Amino acid sequence: MTASSEHGRRPITEPDAATLILEVRQLDFFYGQTQVLFGVDLAVQRGRITALIGPSGCGKSTLLRAINRIYALYPGQRAEGTIRLDGEDVLGSTDLAAVRARIGMVFQKPTPFPMSIYDNVAFGIRLTEKKSKADMDAIVEHALRRAALWDEVKDQLARSGLRLSGGQQQRLCVARGLAVSPQVLLLDEPASALDPISTAKLEQTLFELKQEVTIVLVTHNLQQASRISDHTGFLYRGQMVEFGPTDALFSKPRSTQTRDYLTGRFG
Amino acid sequence: MAEASASSAIERRGPGEALFRFACAGAATLLMTALAGVVVSLAIGGWPAFRAFGPAFLYTATWNPVTDVYGAAGPIVGTLLTATIALSFALPLALGVAVFLVEFCPARLATPIGIAIELLAGIPSIVYGMWGLFVLAPWFAAYIQMPIALSAEAGSWADTVFSGTPNGANIFTAALVLAVMILPYMAAVFRELFLTIPPHVREAAYGLGCTSLEVVHSITIPSVRRSIVGVVMLGLGRALGETMAVTFIIGNSHSLPRSLFDGGATIASTIANEFTEATGALHEASLVALGLILFLITFGVLAIARALLRSTDL
Amino acid sequence: MTRADRRKLANGVFVALCGIATAIALSLLVAILWALVGRGLGGMGILLFTSDQPAPGSIGGLRNAIVGSLIMCGLGMAGALVIGILAGTWLAEYASGTRTAATVRFLNDVLLSAPSILIGLFVYELLVAPFGGFSGYAGAVALAFIATPIVVRTTEDILLLQPAELREAGMAVGAGRALVIRRIMWRAARTGLLTGGLLGFARISGETAPLLFTSLGNQFFNADAAQPMASLPTTIFQFALSAYDQWQNLAWAGALLIAVAVLIVNIVGRILARESHLS
Repeated sequence: MTASSEHGRRPITEPDAATLILEVRQLDFFYGQTQVLFGVDLAVQRGRITALIGPSGCGKSTLLRAINRIYALYPGQRAEGTIRLDGEDVLGSTDLAAVRARIGMVFQKPTPFPMSIYDNVAFGIRLTEKKSKADMDAIVEHALRRAALWDEVKDQLARSGLRLSGGQQQRLCVARGLAVSPQVLLLDEPASALDPISTAKLEQTLFELKQEVTIVLVTHNLQQASRISDHTGFLYRGQMVEFGPTDALFSKPRSTQTRDYLTGRFG
Repeated sequence: MAEASASSAIERRGPGEALFRFACAGAATLLMTALAGVVVSLAIGGWPAFRAFGPAFLYTATWNPVTDVYGAAGPIVGTLLTATIALSFALPLALGVAVFLVEFCPARLATPIGIAIELLAGIPSIVYGMWGLFVLAPWFAAYIQMPIALSAEAGSWADTVFSGTPNGANIFTAALVLAVMILPYMAAVFRELFLTIPPHVREAAYGLGCTSLEVVHSITIPSVRRSIVGVVMLGLGRALGETMAVTFIIGNSHSLPRSLFDGGATIASTIANEFTEATGALHEASLVALGLILFLITFGVLAIARALLRSTDL
Repeated sequence: MTRADRRKLANGVFVALCGIATAIALSLLVAILWALVGRGLGGMGILLFTSDQPAPGSIGGLRNAIVGSLIMCGLGMAGALVIGILAGTWLAEYASGTRTAATVRFLNDVLLSAPSILIGLFVYELLVAPFGGFSGYAGAVALAFIATPIVVRTTEDILLLQPAELREAGMAVGAGRALVIRRIMWRAARTGLLTGGLLGFARISGETAPLLFTSLGNQFFNADAAQPMASLPTTIFQFALSAYDQWQNLAWAGALLIAVAVLIVNIVGRILARESHLS
């Protein structure tokens, strides 16, 4: 079954507070003195796939990295504004590790940890909980199944994660992110380093996952965004130019900039 | 909204985090303390000598354990002489080798030769010292010094310029051994440096019809000019501080050498030869004072080298 | 002569000069290896490893020196690895990009190229003079000071080479900095860290000057590091300058032994380095 625009999309109504899991309001972001995000708003609905599109360098990845505060690793980068996860403040939170445990992230380049497939998936859980072997086995299997990787690796869980193919590594990273049962999964151009078949598999996986995990997906690939996402936001030069239901945005964009981008006038 | 900097946000999960960070920072601090300790201990240990002789210590050439009068001029001159002579031999050879390997040598030969040179750069200096003592010195005495000594008339120009005991243990041979020692090191680093130049730059020049000489002269060397000087300084720093390659063969005379073929001493060889048998506190202090002088000289040279090499990875 | 001819001639001379330089360099190095193998090979035999240093004029081996070198290099390397890896980690992970890190890196490079005999003097003032005795421990400490900057450098380089995403991925799962470093970054960089250790070991195994006033030397077999200890380089130094043929032959054998050992360690290090770059 492939994800097509006919399947799985319920009629979209305007989001209300109860269905919002992630809310970004008036977010400004600075690299040192340079401002790169200007008053960005984003409303992510529970159980949906939200895509962020836009030309290179317009701030899509920066927005994602602000949400799970991975930018805090680098001095000189700062964010101002509001980000709420299920009602709780993210930017002001002092327990970054806890925030990140509820927001998963998959990067553009597959980054398996230098350990076995099993240990890769179990890594996040082992940070906070001590589980019996049977429990851990179950969690690992569950995560790998949801990432559509279980069948391919179930006999080689002790093998190093580095030995998998690119597409498999990326799905391993998805499994790793899923294992800690996050509320939101952020993906930064996850398929850009993959071949078409692996990309299709990954898209299929994401489509099936959205029931349990809200997905925010940054992508360069307009067809991908229209294939699998429910909502789309168009970012240009650090501003959220337009945001809305994917079908509407793609067929009847309200802004001329959006239209120009979608028709390939620039990119 | 509060901005999160890497240090204020609590990314830690418990005391283990703080402990590890403390251990890492502590190790770095320990290292810096050790460096400071070297300078401090050399200064403290050498202070009695500076106090006893004053600034004259730097330019007096006497070194007499019997009368307890010491002056650093001999070792300082020896150090600077051997290092600069060594460098003047090693530098053109090292550049020539590096250019040859990068421009002219077919790739199949260049890689093994390059590897061989890098491996040879790792051979301990004591091996070079022994070669100098047992092979170079006798050869030099027999084939260079003796013929000159025999054919030059007493009091002539040749006699003065080449005067010295014809046993092959003198400033010049020590400098030669030093040159042979730093040659593979410098050749390897120069080669690495030339290989950082993107090939398409040189290819463009060849495409215009330049000869190899012209490419090297106008493209290769100018691209890395600062780094070349930096590497030269690195080599100089090594040569100045080298002990074992010169101690065997420098002749151990503390007075100012009368000629290049005369015996001399470097700071390192003096310390190596005399420290364990130092007769008295002032003797020991003078040796440590020599060490301080050497440290300051090499620190200066190395600081310049590192500043010049800052843009590269070397 | 036309301009083109002149250019050709100049180029030809240049090529010849470079070739001559290479020939000179290679023949010098071949000459040294020739002397080393020629004079040292004869002394290599079981006796070298099983017998201690002989009295002048009699037959013996270098066992006490070899054992002393192994002990001091081992201890020195242990210290250098601990301090060096931690300090290098601090530079790459906690302080990357700051001015303090730049200063520390600069000073570390200075220490790396500092004359090793001065390190020996320093350790003498620190550990020998106050306690009134030369010891293997002092020698090990001096060697550690020489090897640590090498380990710091290679550790920082290899950690900075790791993709930033690896670090971020570890933190994105919710792990703290120290955990990410220990379980992920160090593991990813382990071949590079090992190479740094090997390079450091190769360097200190040939060092003579810093041992002259710290471990001093010992004509008898001694495995107690609190006492003066023999080492290959210092024994070679003493024997080479002596007047006894037997001792001089042993010195050459010892020199060959060190050179071969250093070569092997360097080769292993290179093979490991190449593998880690491919993975």
